[in-house]
Amino acid sequence: MRGNDAVSNVVRFILLLFLQVFLFRQISLGFGGRQQLFIFITPLFIALLPLRTPKPLVVIFSFFIGLGIDLFYDTLGVHAAAATFTGYVRQFMLLVLAPKDGYKVKASPDGKDLPQGWWLRYLGLVMVSYCLFYFSMEAFSPLFWKDIMLKTLFTSPVSWFFCVIIVTFLRPRV
Amino acid sequence: MEQILRLFYNNGSFFTFCTLQILSVYLIINHNSTQSAIAAETWSIGSGRLQSISTTVNDYLNLKEQNEVQMRENARLRRLLPNALYDLRTNVDSIIDGKYLQRYNFLPARIVNRSPYNPYNVLIINRGESLGLQAGQGVIDDQGLVGIIDNSTELFARAISILHQDARISAGLRDNTFGTLRWDGKDPRYMTLTDIPEYTNIGTKDTVFTTGYSNIFPTGQPIGIVTDAEVQPGTGSKNLKVELFNDPLRVSSVYVVQDLFKEELGILNAQ
Repeated sequence: MRGNDAVSNVVRFILLLFLQVFLFRQISLGFGGRQQLFIFITPLFIALLPLRTPKPLVVIFSFFIGLGIDLFYDTLGVHAAAATFTGYVRQFMLLVLAPKDGYKVKASPDGKDLPQGWWLRYLGLVMVSYCLFYFSMEAFSPLFWKDIMLKTLFTSPVSWFFCVIIVTFLRPRV
Repeated sequence: MEQILRLFYNNGSFFTFCTLQILSVYLIINHNSTQSAIAAETWSIGSGRLQSISTTVNDYLNLKEQNEVQMRENARLRRLLPNALYDLRTNVDSIIDGKYLQRYNFLPARIVNRSPYNPYNVLIINRGESLGLQAGQGVIDDQGLVGIIDNSTELFARAISILHQDARISAGLRDNTFGTLRWDGKDPRYMTLTDIPEYTNIGTKDTVFTTGYSNIFPTGQPIGIVTDAEVQPGTGSKNLKVELFNDPLRVSSVYVVQDLFKEELGILNAQ
């Protein structure tokens, strides 16, 4: 299935949206009656977009997957804002994490063309930025910064872990 | 133009990001109850603060105009005080009908120039003959006396300050003893009330008023308090040291007192 970026990205879009909405939406943990742990796997779509995708297009695709989740989560705009933000800062992460001799022209951002460690760090950054912005937009006021920090602290490592597993198992095919 | 286009081309992702972010926030505020409540609250706090700032600034800009309005109002109120009126009640035998005739007129004015401090202080005010100012009219402020007009032009007038060695003001006390108030040219805080009979019983802290005998100032305008008495040997009179209520050297807004009966009284005084 490799080689056809457009098709595999569309398939990934639908698959991740499906998994997020029908499987991971059911999971929310926490203590004291408040939920602090969620699992988001849609940032994986943003992370897996090919490196040579034009930057404005990355932002636009991110917005659409965020909007897709919002339609099912009844939080119109919140996920879209977080995804748009993540899509925008992705270029800076790539800049910061760039290897010494730069990226190859057709490189794909998972463990195939680039070392595994690079991929894990990159995914971690994407996940943290997504969660941070999502929970900020959900609270919508800096007054709740404790809540935002706590939720980000719980959600991003778990989501990151699930994303790594999904990629490890499904990557050869999709 | 080309540079602007290049700016958009190079920062395409940034402008896309901004547009979509604004769209997202718009969606958030319009479709989520919690967030829309927070946004409305924040908006009302912010606009309230802005409004209070603009009110403060506007108040400051209006201050001069408001001051002018206040002074005009003060002059009107002074015109209604009993000592600015001429009592007609005694003319109508036994019927008291409460009629008064306007005697003193007050005109707000501002000091625009003054001489350097010396024994012969004068000051210039921004009202002149066009408003009926003449030599011999008094100048007061809200606490005491300021001076007497001695020269006027179309738009301005010159007044000799009460702190002028040639100034003579008729002043008295509550028990109707009266004398002449003058300044010795030394301390601007004190004036001297001369020609008070020696036998009168006057203590310190007694208030000194204008008498109104010279038709310059209205009767009963407070001037200052007595701080010291000094008997003049061989004359049968004593001098009182009077501490002024106001500071004529620092006052900036004043009222000109116009006696409307001056001509009529002048005829009697000349005979």
